[in-house]
Amino acid sequence: MAEKFDHLEEHLEKFVENIRQLGIIVSDFQPSSQTGLNQKLNFIVTGLQDIDKCRQQLHDITVPLEVFEYIDQGRNPQLYTKECLERALAKNEQVKGKIDTMKKFKSLLIQELSKVFPEDMAKYRSIRGEAHAPP
Amino acid sequence: MENFTALFGAQTDPPPPPTALSFGPGKPPPPPPPPPGGGPGTAAPPTAATAPPGADKSAAGCGPFYLMRELPGGTELTGSTNLITHYNLEQAYNKFCGKKVKEKLSNFLPDLPGMIDLPGSHDNSSLRSLIEKPPILGGSFNPITGTMLSGFRLHTGPLPEQCRLMHIQPPKKNKHKHKQSRAQDPVPPETPSDSDHKKKKKKKEEDPERKRKKKEKKKKKSRHSPDHPGMGSSQASSSSSLR
Repeated sequence: MAEKFDHLEEHLEKFVENIRQLGIIVSDFQPSSQTGLNQKLNFIVTGLQDIDKCRQQLHDITVPLEVFEYIDQGRNPQLYTKECLERALAKNEQVKGKIDTMKKFKSLLIQELSKVFPEDMAKYRSIRGEAHAPP
Repeated sequence: MENFTALFGAQTDPPPPPTALSFGPGKPPPPPPPPPGGGPGTAAPPTAATAPPGADKSAAGCGPFYLMRELPGGTELTGSTNLITHYNLEQAYNKFCGKKVKEKLSNFLPDLPGMIDLPGSHDNSSLRSLIEKPPILGGSFNPITGTMLSGFRLHTGPLPEQCRLMHIQPPKKNKHKHKQSRAQDPVPPETPSDSDHKKKKKKKEEDPERKRKKKEKKKKKSRHSPDHPGMGSSQASSSSSLR
């Protein structure tokens, strides 16, 4: 799994470096650097071919669209991961709180119902397979 | 976010309502709908559910509780368990939430040339636009041949300043801050640097020569000075300096 990403990362890094070098050649162009420029242009074509080949290996990878928004705004995409984890934990705690409260409510309700409807609640407990009344 | 909706969606959804809310002993309730996805919830429901429709057995078996449903199994994954721990994400949580993550994109991709911290909408380089308006792909990338390369003959000379986008790099704050902190923080007297040690050593080496010179100067001064108290005191002072 990680190999696929490493492969793509390697190609992207090479491609970026070629683009950077091409930028340097172009920024102060000299007639003698024409052969270098031609070479770099073809390196870029082969770089694009390599990146395109990686596409087949990564067709099953899904990326959340929100990550692109972070990158487009010039923000660190790791912040998205951080916020996701924080939101997940907060929601987890919230749901846990609800479950705990409902459990408490259930035991309290059974307790009170047992006082008012002892026979019915005894039946209920026998159906549920509970030997004793909950505390 | 899509990843986590899968985690929480199943737990936060309310349970499906009973299909029939009929009362009275003569109407047995229909079996509850099985929960989606199977699991422990698909176990056989109490007598009310197993009884054939139209029979009074179920109502008699459950007494007044004919709307009872199967309790969720203890093994079912709910929000009561720590899902971060369950999915082995503690390491990722500590990595991203334990320390401060740097805000800028250039901190994530420090080796990428150009000003990448600016919003993509400024120079029309946003990834969003790439998705919304995908480029027209010709199929394959072909190498540029000799005749085609003739189209890439450029004018000699440097580019104008406004076109040199590749040379602009976002400022690296780390090094700057480090220098500042070094400059601002006073060096504690107990921990002098290596260079201080060397200086002291040099001073120590030079000390005997300097002392001699100073002594000679003092002697000369004391001899020629008008406030010269006398030989005895000068000798005493010189002897003390020797010690």
